Amino acid sequence: MRMNKTPELHIKAINLAKRVKVPEGSLTILHDISLTINRGETVAIVGASGSGKSTLLSLLAGLDTPSDGEIHMAGKPLHQMSEDERAGVRARDVGFVFQSFLLLPSLTALENVTLPAELSGDRKARERGLALLEQVGLTARADFYPSQLSGGEQQRVAIARAFITKPAILFADEPSANLDAVTGQMIEDLLFELNDSQGTTLVLVTHNAELAKRCQRQYQMRSGSFVPADTATAVAATEVAANVG
Amino acid sequence: MWASIAGRLFWRELKRGELWVIAFALFLAVGSVVSLSGITQSVKSALQQRSAQFTAADRVLGSSQPFDDAYFSVASELGVATARQMQFDSMLFAGEQMQLATIKAVNDSYPLRGELVLHRSASITSGSPGQLAPGEVWFEARLLDLLQVKPGDTVELGEARLVVAGVIVNEPDAPLSVFGGSPRVIMHLADVAATSIVQPGSRISYRYLFAGTASALDALTDALKPRLTVHQRWRNLDRESAIGSALERAERFLLLAGLLGIVLAACAAAVAASRYSQRHTQAVAIIKALGATTAKARLLYSSHLLLVVLFSLVLGLMGGQLAIFAAELGIGNYISDYRPEFSFRPLLLGTLTCIICALLFAARPLWQLAKTPAIEVLKQPAAVMNLDKWQMLFGAAAIWGLMWLFSGELLISVGLFLLCALFAAILLGFAAVMVKLARPVAAGQSSAGRLALANLRRRLWPNSFQLITFSLAIFLTLLLYFLRAELIGQWQQQIPEGAPNHFLVNVSAEQRAKVTAFTEANNLQPEPFYPVVRGRLLSINSEQLQQEATKEDRSEQRVGVGRELNLTWLAQIPANNKIIEGQWFNDATNAEVSVEQEIAERLQLTLGDKLDFSIGGQQVKATVTSIRQVDWNSLQPNFYMILSPDVLATFPATYITAFYLEQGSGNLINQLARQMPTVTVLSVDAIINQVNDIIAQVTIALSFILIIIALAAALVLVAQVQATLEQREQELAILRTLGAKYVFLRNALLLEFAFLGALAGLFATVLAELLLIVLQQRVFDMPFQFHFALWWMGPVIGVVSVSLLGWWQLRRLLQIPGAILIRRVIQS
Ligand SMILES: Nc1ncnc2c1ncn2[C@@H]1O[C@H](COP(=O)(O)OP(=O)(O)O)[C@@H](O)[C@H]1O
Ligand SMILES: [Mg+2]
Repeated sequence: MRMNKTPELHIKAINLAKRVKVPEGSLTILHDISLTINRGETVAIVGASGSGKSTLLSLLAGLDTPSDGEIHMAGKPLHQMSEDERAGVRARDVGFVFQSFLLLPSLTALENVTLPAELSGDRKARERGLALLEQVGLTARADFYPSQLSGGEQQRVAIARAFITKPAILFADEPSANLDAVTGQMIEDLLFELNDSQGTTLVLVTHNAELAKRCQRQYQMRSGSFVPADTATAVAATEVAANVG
Repeated sequence: MWASIAGRLFWRELKRGELWVIAFALFLAVGSVVSLSGITQSVKSALQQRSAQFTAADRVLGSSQPFDDAYFSVASELGVATARQMQFDSMLFAGEQMQLATIKAVNDSYPLRGELVLHRSASITSGSPGQLAPGEVWFEARLLDLLQVKPGDTVELGEARLVVAGVIVNEPDAPLSVFGGSPRVIMHLADVAATSIVQPGSRISYRYLFAGTASALDALTDALKPRLTVHQRWRNLDRESAIGSALERAERFLLLAGLLGIVLAACAAAVAASRYSQRHTQAVAIIKALGATTAKARLLYSSHLLLVVLFSLVLGLMGGQLAIFAAELGIGNYISDYRPEFSFRPLLLGTLTCIICALLFAARPLWQLAKTPAIEVLKQPAAVMNLDKWQMLFGAAAIWGLMWLFSGELLISVGLFLLCALFAAILLGFAAVMVKLARPVAAGQSSAGRLALANLRRRLWPNSFQLITFSLAIFLTLLLYFLRAELIGQWQQQIPEGAPNHFLVNVSAEQRAKVTAFTEANNLQPEPFYPVVRGRLLSINSEQLQQEATKEDRSEQRVGVGRELNLTWLAQIPANNKIIEGQWFNDATNAEVSVEQEIAERLQLTLGDKLDFSIGGQQVKATVTSIRQVDWNSLQPNFYMILSPDVLATFPATYITAFYLEQGSGNLINQLARQMPTVTVLSVDAIINQVNDIIAQVTIALSFILIIIALAAALVLVAQVQATLEQREQELAILRTLGAKYVFLRNALLLEFAFLGALAGLFATVLAELLLIVLQQRVFDMPFQFHFALWWMGPVIGVVSVSLLGWWQLRRLLQIPGAILIRRVIQS
């Protein structure tokens, strides 16, 4: 792991806006979002349901494009990239954990884990997948199908999958929201553990204040934009970032 | 790497239904095209080979007049080889048995080309070769059985007794009729006189056979030209092309009829493919979120379609080829030369069909699937699937493309396409109205019935589609059944009681007294004797008639009758004839003719037209003075042209009469035929048997189409039920949460399908009834009659088949315990 004297900028978003078409016309679901995330940092995006957290995450991760504004990931302008270029970025640099696990039902646990690596042509995916499954404690379940696994187990498979390509940044969208408290806690522990050992940048979306506190910094959202006054840390971080940028 | 992922996904997807539906649909399409086209192709080449390998001469001159020796001497002078041949139908007797046969009498030089192969045995596969000689006859093998004779036995033909020498193995110029006809006999020309069958006015075909160099033959044609009478004409040896084009038409018809099934199957494939992609939207979104590009996702899923297409294409080609071989069992009975053959055209047609179906019906949903944006991972997957407009447009284009491919004609395909669209629109409209109307009816019913109707209404679109497919399948089933079982029976029933059922043909003037004595002795009421003279209509108002409807020669001339007519002369109008225009003959009559209404229309004849006939080489004139309506179903001897007695009475004639004989009086007929061996006896039963035979053959072809359509209809239902499975699961879960009982849900489900089936059955019934009425009135000339059995059979077939299929598809869903169902739905 690298020691950062001066934090290296990983993600920088400037004046992001997202508008969607609805039958009544256009609906703004994100507006005026600016943020910076440093390499290796853990950042939480908090807010009530419907406040726009998932939408923001999808923009930062390159799943979707903003209507306005800029996103730079490791210096590269995501907002100017084509769909396929963004797919390349996701394949190399990004890992995901979703609220509803999103495993392919017709692949086994191990195959789900190795899928991203195989898609980018990695031939040693299998060993690494088995190692990751061991890390999340599912060696015995390697050949099970998602339908044969409990919710917690499915989410552990999803976490193992997220790390298989050794991503530089991990996006997690309410990873424990679909699980009971105990299992959820376990999943969260696992996520932070792996993140720590891999030195990955973590962007965690949650409506759970307790969970958010485990991150180094928090952004608070309300109806599509950040609430600036709420958290001193967030404001401070923005200023630091501004200096660096 | 993607290949191994694609392979694994494919393998596991096989457990789900959609890929199988697509595979089976394509298999069905390919298999039916290959077999339909291959079978007709094999039939065609069987007949062509027979025709190409075996012709008895280079040129054949046919005549209804006895041989003119001068023709033969002209030929000899030109160095052209000749042979003589006569052909006629006559009764053959052997002990108690008798049989109508087609007799061919030839002289020693026959055949000039090809080889006549005869076996001195009862078998065409073994026996010592035989030679034609006076005193002997050779039989087509089946005639031995029909007459219960063996080689060495004696048979009677007319007044002659001849020894059965053996069987015909190869007859160079055997007729190319596909549907059997009378059994064939070959005898020596020298024996014909002894039979006494040939009398003035008998229906006998004389043939002059010629063979030689092309130039000699041309010289002969020129030399004979001025001598030819209207009763003589060069026979077209190019039978190959005539049969070829007839079979081409048959192939097109079968393919287009089969197209219905193919289109239905392709629609099932489209539904399954849409469903498949809808079910995989989320998987694609996940894969893309994990970094796959659109191209890679497309590769992944199009490989699935490609595998399915290849699989069904190969199996379909093999299955179709297999069917071509299997068809020998059925067709071999009718065409002994049928040899299943391997040819590329059917395979090519099948492959093209497969590609069109796969590309235009199934490919689009998978193409669209790959476009699913990665952002979809964050959205709820949709439970309801809909076919988009483009998909419909592509489907319609594919249907039209197939029609074009099969019909080979642009105009026909466009017309057919519009017709089908109209038909579909009518049925859809009808379906919508019926479902709407059913609402007030259902209001008074059990709540299961109401739920069933609500379900039907909600899925109106897919249901209407199912309605069309099942209507078609049931319609065909009904039609086949009623054609076979009912129509002939009804036709027989409506023949008036006591109408003549036996016809005596070729009665000579002297035999008339004998026949009368016979009928009096046996208390039979015979029809009067109708004299028959054969003649050709030459011209109308001195305007020469075109004698054959040929394609090349589309001159201004009116097309004539094309064959010799049976002409009669009568002083009294026959009982079942009605004058609709003009006057029947009276004492002052001079050279007049009364014309039957239909032929008058065809030849555009009006009162006062002057007709020229050629009878026995002599020209005869008559003026049209009346037009008659004839009741063809009366089964009395009927004539197109009746001339006034003054015109024809001097010509030698044979006579026709008829009488009614109760069933089981075969012995009496035998006696009569024995007393007058040259008279031919035709029984209505035999004619009806022949019609039944033809219907049986038509139904074989239609049954094949029916199977294709029924399978396709079932496939459509399976595909569509599959497509609504998730939606149904959700509904069931909700209903069970609300406390609905298993029995209630099952009843609602069964009622839903039963109602759909009943509607389909009703449509099919209406269609079948309409078609049967048209057939009755147009083809069989019968009065209007309802088919009551149809009205319960159609709906019952519909209810039973559709309910069973639906139940079979959804039984597992109903058996899932409520709690599990609810959890499954809530979790997803
Ligand atoms: N494609 C869309 N069309 C219309 N509304 C949308 C769309 N995507 C998101 N929204 C709306 O935007 C808001 C923010 O959604 P989301 O980012 O999912 O919130 P969160 O993740 O914080 O619960 C919600 O009100 C949602 O309904
Ligand atoms: Mg969210």
